[in-house]
Amino acid sequence: MRRAWNWLLAILIGGWLPVLLIAWWWTSSADSTDPFFPPLSQIWEQFKLNWIWQYWGVHVMPTLENLAAGFILAAAIGILLGVLVGSAPTAARYIEPLVDFFRSIPPIALVPVFILILGLDASMRIASIAFAASFPILLSTIEGVRSTNVVLLDTATTFRLTRAQVLWRVRYPNALPTVFAGLQVGFQIAFIVAIASEILGAGFGIGAFTQMSTDSFMILDAWTGVLLLGILGYLLNILFDIVERLSLRWYVGQKRLA
Amino acid sequence: MTVTTIAIAIRDVTMEYPSPEGVKHVLGGVSYDVTEGHYVSIVGPSGVGKTTLLRLLTGLAQPTGGEILVQGNRLSGAPEGLAVVLQDYTRSLMPWLTVEKNIALPLRNARLDNARLSKAQVRERIDGALAEVGLEGNAKAYPWQLSGGMQQRVSIARALAVRPRILVMDEPFASVDAQTRFDLEDLVLKVRADFGITTIMVTHDIDEAVYLSDEVVVLHGRPAQVTDVVSVELPFPRSQVETRNDHRFAELRTRIYEKVRGLS
Repeated sequence: MRRAWNWLLAILIGGWLPVLLIAWWWTSSADSTDPFFPPLSQIWEQFKLNWIWQYWGVHVMPTLENLAAGFILAAAIGILLGVLVGSAPTAARYIEPLVDFFRSIPPIALVPVFILILGLDASMRIASIAFAASFPILLSTIEGVRSTNVVLLDTATTFRLTRAQVLWRVRYPNALPTVFAGLQVGFQIAFIVAIASEILGAGFGIGAFTQMSTDSFMILDAWTGVLLLGILGYLLNILFDIVERLSLRWYVGQKRLA
Repeated sequence: MTVTTIAIAIRDVTMEYPSPEGVKHVLGGVSYDVTEGHYVSIVGPSGVGKTTLLRLLTGLAQPTGGEILVQGNRLSGAPEGLAVVLQDYTRSLMPWLTVEKNIALPLRNARLDNARLSKAQVRERIDGALAEVGLEGNAKAYPWQLSGGMQQRVSIARALAVRPRILVMDEPFASVDAQTRFDLEDLVLKVRADFGITTIMVTHDIDEAVYLSDEVVVLHGRPAQVTDVVSVELPFPRSQVETRNDHRFAELRTRIYEKVRGLS
């Protein structure tokens, strides 16, 4: 009962401003004749027409598939390399300047290069996403693995855990909260690069749809693309939070007590 | 007549660290034999090198001179059949593992008749160890959900579950309140009576050393040496009230106190 109340309260506190803004947009744009700012009611009608579910298979699924493949690849590379590098202090010193350089390149700038190398198909998009998103994951994994406390490592040594066990049963779980922080940043980058790679050249995908719509002055369609991206990004972030909370139960519980 | 065997032989062990002010001599030729089955406490003033000696005994560090023999074998690395309980229970238990999984972790490498432990055997060890420390029913809890004293019980249970021949404890009761400390001391006495594990404990608490031990080793000086070995011939079972009121208890603590302070 109390929980339900807290939920309701949270929704009310967080929700009143968005609701107010949407209402304001709706009413103030109702009589709009400006071709660039059509009435929200028209955008909404077009949104339902486009995305429920006419273009879902053509444009939404490719974006989501590339995003998922690229992000999973980035997570695998970042975590695997991060655990190895983080547990070998000298290796970290060799690799860090290089990593710092590559991650300083704005990720979107790399897309044209990947287009040049891999062409315009899905492999290019997945590679760009994986490349750009792996850096924050790699860096946070290194950081998390390296910060394992000495007492824990001593304990592991005296109990004769093998090197592999120390890596995967002590250093890795110890790093997980930090790894998740990196995954979150990596995921945002992956989303940006996924859309950017479509805008820079694709026939399918939400980014491509939005770009083609503006190119052909289909302003309503362009608005629905932007709206869909916002909603998708928001929902994916919520999904991410849920996964994080489920995987890090111990961490969340411990923090709540501290 | 009983034949005593030596569990750990510490032979002329020296330890030196390089430091900005030159080489720091921490241990200067420490020799002592730990008798099998004995409870031995190492006491001494703060900073004398007690914890350094303990790190050498657990194989976490190597001495710069002399040698340590465990069951006749020269020590290099963490020896088999040795379990450790550290002072800092909040950092020696894995916060992402439940109590039972913490206990199970070292059992992954345990061998019985050259075979890995079966699931049932692991279960049996966990339940047995938890019963021994009085934590039945807390198997599924996370360490941070338990009080400090209970967490230290978990780390004792984890040590017992590997069925060690030697138990090494570094200030195991220093971070808990006085009442919990008495409870844990009596728990350790019970474990001792149940299993007869050779135990070496570092402590700064002289009363605790006398109460629990067969022998108290006093470290003193810089570099540190063994300045006294005191046999505690108080009868078992011991009790917080009677043992501590025994006039011999008072004499022993006075003698050790003076040695620790370097008064005699």
